[in-house]
Amino acid sequence: MILRVTFNKKNYLRYIGHLDLMRVFHRSFNRADIPIKYSEGFNPHPKFSIAHPLSLGIESEEEYMDVDLEYIPAEEFVEKMNSVLPRDIQIIKAVYLEKEESIASLIAWAFYEINFDISEDRTKEEAEDIINTWLSKEEIMITKLKKKGKKKIERQENIKNLIGNLILKEINDNNIIIETLLKSGDNGNLKPINLMEALNRDTTLNIDMDSIAIKRLGLYAEKDKNIYKPL
Amino acid sequence: MINQKKLDRVLKKVERPARYIGMEENSVTKDLEKVKVKFAFSFPDIYDVGMSHLGLHILYNLINEEENLLCERVFAPWTDMEAEMRHEDLPLFTLESKEEVKNFDFLGFTLQYEMSYTNILNILDLSKIPLLSKDRTDEYPFVIAGGPCAYNPEPIADFIDFFVIGEGEEVTLEILKLYKEHKEGQWDREEFLKSVAQIQGVYVPKFYDVIYNEDGTIKERISLIEGIPSTIDKRMIKDLDSMFSPEKMIVPFIETVHDRVSMEIFRGCTHGCRFCQAGMIYRPIREKSVDKIVELADKLVKNTGYENISLSSLSSCDYSELYILITKLMEKFEEKKVGVSLPSLRLDSFSIDILKEIEKVRKSGLTFAPEAGSQRLRDVINKGITEEDLINTVNYVFKEGWSTIKLYFMVGLPTETDEDVMGIKDLAYKVKDMFFDLPKDERKGNLKVTASASCFVPKPFTPFQWVGQESMDEFYRKIYLVKNSIKDNKVTFNYHDPKLSYLEAIIARGDRRISKLILRAWEKGCKFDGWSEYFKYDTWIETLKELNIDGDFYALRNRSLEENLPWDFINPGVSKDYLMREYKRSLEEQTTPDCRQQCRGCGIKGCTMTGGGDN
Ligand code: SF4
Repeated sequence: MILRVTFNKKNYLRYIGHLDLMRVFHRSFNRADIPIKYSEGFNPHPKFSIAHPLSLGIESEEEYMDVDLEYIPAEEFVEKMNSVLPRDIQIIKAVYLEKEESIASLIAWAFYEINFDISEDRTKEEAEDIINTWLSKEEIMITKLKKKGKKKIERQENIKNLIGNLILKEINDNNIIIETLLKSGDNGNLKPINLMEALNRDTTLNIDMDSIAIKRLGLYAEKDKNIYKPL
Repeated sequence: MINQKKLDRVLKKVERPARYIGMEENSVTKDLEKVKVKFAFSFPDIYDVGMSHLGLHILYNLINEEENLLCERVFAPWTDMEAEMRHEDLPLFTLESKEEVKNFDFLGFTLQYEMSYTNILNILDLSKIPLLSKDRTDEYPFVIAGGPCAYNPEPIADFIDFFVIGEGEEVTLEILKLYKEHKEGQWDREEFLKSVAQIQGVYVPKFYDVIYNEDGTIKERISLIEGIPSTIDKRMIKDLDSMFSPEKMIVPFIETVHDRVSMEIFRGCTHGCRFCQAGMIYRPIREKSVDKIVELADKLVKNTGYENISLSSLSSCDYSELYILITKLMEKFEEKKVGVSLPSLRLDSFSIDILKEIEKVRKSGLTFAPEAGSQRLRDVINKGITEEDLINTVNYVFKEGWSTIKLYFMVGLPTETDEDVMGIKDLAYKVKDMFFDLPKDERKGNLKVTASASCFVPKPFTPFQWVGQESMDEFYRKIYLVKNSIKDNKVTFNYHDPKLSYLEAIIARGDRRISKLILRAWEKGCKFDGWSEYFKYDTWIETLKELNIDGDFYALRNRSLEENLPWDFINPGVSKDYLMREYKRSLEEQTTPDCRQQCRGCGIKGCTMTGGGDN
């Protein structure tokens, strides 16, 4: 049976990568004695997949994972797992799926909170003005590096349509918090750091790039122009 | 606690930031304000290497089980991290509390190999602790060190406040408890050092001085204060079953060198290979009982979630009830898909039944260590392995479907001739031929034979401690002799850098004057010397010249049996007389049987081996 699970990943644990996270879960399944299913073959793997892996250094309030296991009550799963998982990775919810559409193919949008410092104090109006003017441009270009064999090829991409929205949430002297919904999945994908690079390049905000702290607040699926949570 | 904002800036920029965050399963965080004694344990290499060291897991849990004591970890930051830390002026911190190392009571290093000594200085520097013991005042931690290389503490005597010689389980707690008493009483750094020097196994270098002869050899050692021991007896645990064994291990987030449950099944070794320091200093052999091991394995697997157990010891196939142990472990873990592996197989006591048991779950690569290419030379070094052993084993493993085999050798062993060296090639080719001599349908996989040669480094407390190392030219000549003769793409020949081995030989048998060399080399940028991409041979040589230290005096010189050796004041249990006898026997190509067959009276006390003996 497939259990769809949401979990978070916070504080210092944002510094562990995707493969490390897979290992944490694998060992936690072992420790919690979860009847997880294994792949066949010489080197059996536990069957679970995490949708849309986070980049290193990004915190998250809500990640998704599908787990293939023998039935145990979902509440029991949550309880057992949370007792063995690190404090900063905890399961929030777990529900058995009725129809099995893989989580990876469902995700279309990601919602982020981004916190950063700028070099001079700005009022909220000033900052909003700068951001909105930027957002209203026809084209917002980023440069993507693509590896082709050994060569790296630069490619320009217009990301305007990949930005669902972007609002300034808070400003304190020279510290800004924004929230933004970005395309995230097989039909277009924008990394928050690329957004920030473009914002810094095109505007006079003067962002301290080393100060950027990104948190993923949620992941969303889309059907007929409706955005909804996959669980 | 260090500035977290700075730490975040830094972590975002470095490779594998998880090396520096702690928070792993089974790591321990205590309230720094409440514990009485704070110990920072350091493995002077990066996290990935240090976390694979079993001793760390033992000491860490041992100390943290005591209510009043605390142990946290600190490793050498990798060069990218170091640069960022220096840039942000972020001092070195422990993984658990992110507290400055400087604010601990002790900073303890484990000395696993000589080429990590510059990393010790780098760690002190990043922690803003004075490098030299004599410059450390009351507010600084005691910098202490233990582990196998502490058996010759002299090359780093200037940096370390005191050493712990031998097995650390009991003595560490004695030291920390003594410290707690002193701290609660009238605190005085010097007084504490004086009283800690009375604990068996503790060596405080500053209480001694060394007088040299004109030719640079040691005339005598003198005690500078009254009432301190003139020889330091090693510490040894008598019974492993009742000794502390951790039931937990920290489970790293990132992949480390050994990513599995590591279980010690016995200490010591009965073979008496004459080049092997571990085989001498860890005597006598002491086994953990099967029941205890199975019980611990069960707890460790439950507490870590690991899917592999590796049984560790100096030569795992010597465990007296190995077959019973393996069968019990397999019974217990087969269903859970937990694999069991034995990392140190010897050819002679190799048991085919055991291999059959293990391979039920997973096939691991096979490595054998004949050490020398010819039987004559294997007799000289007392490696009790014959060619027949090798052939029988390899024949079996090929039939069972293995096709990747590694063979370990050394070049530059005492009395070695070109003929012996060429034996490396012959043996590798024999193994290859055996594969192709099998009928075609019995061969499985693609044959790959790898022969690796390291350069022999004579070590203190071995029968070869008097022997001069081979010169670099000779090493290169011999290596190329073998390398150029191997012309088969199924056989690969690797060799270790003779340059590194030369420096290792200088430091391993160094005296107090070598501290200056290490300090100066570090000042000139040497660190991570064990990592080939960072090893700066030219800088080391330049430093030797600058300080007027003759490297050959330490590395290449044959010592007379009468000479006072820098480490003679340490008593490893094995007598110098025994080492001399073994040295002489080696020159006569005489082998010495395994302790299990016959006791040779090596001088160790408390040995229960019943081989009977002629001494
Ligand atoms: S006392 Fe005898 S049996 Fe024991 S380690 Fe020494 S030589 Fe071996």
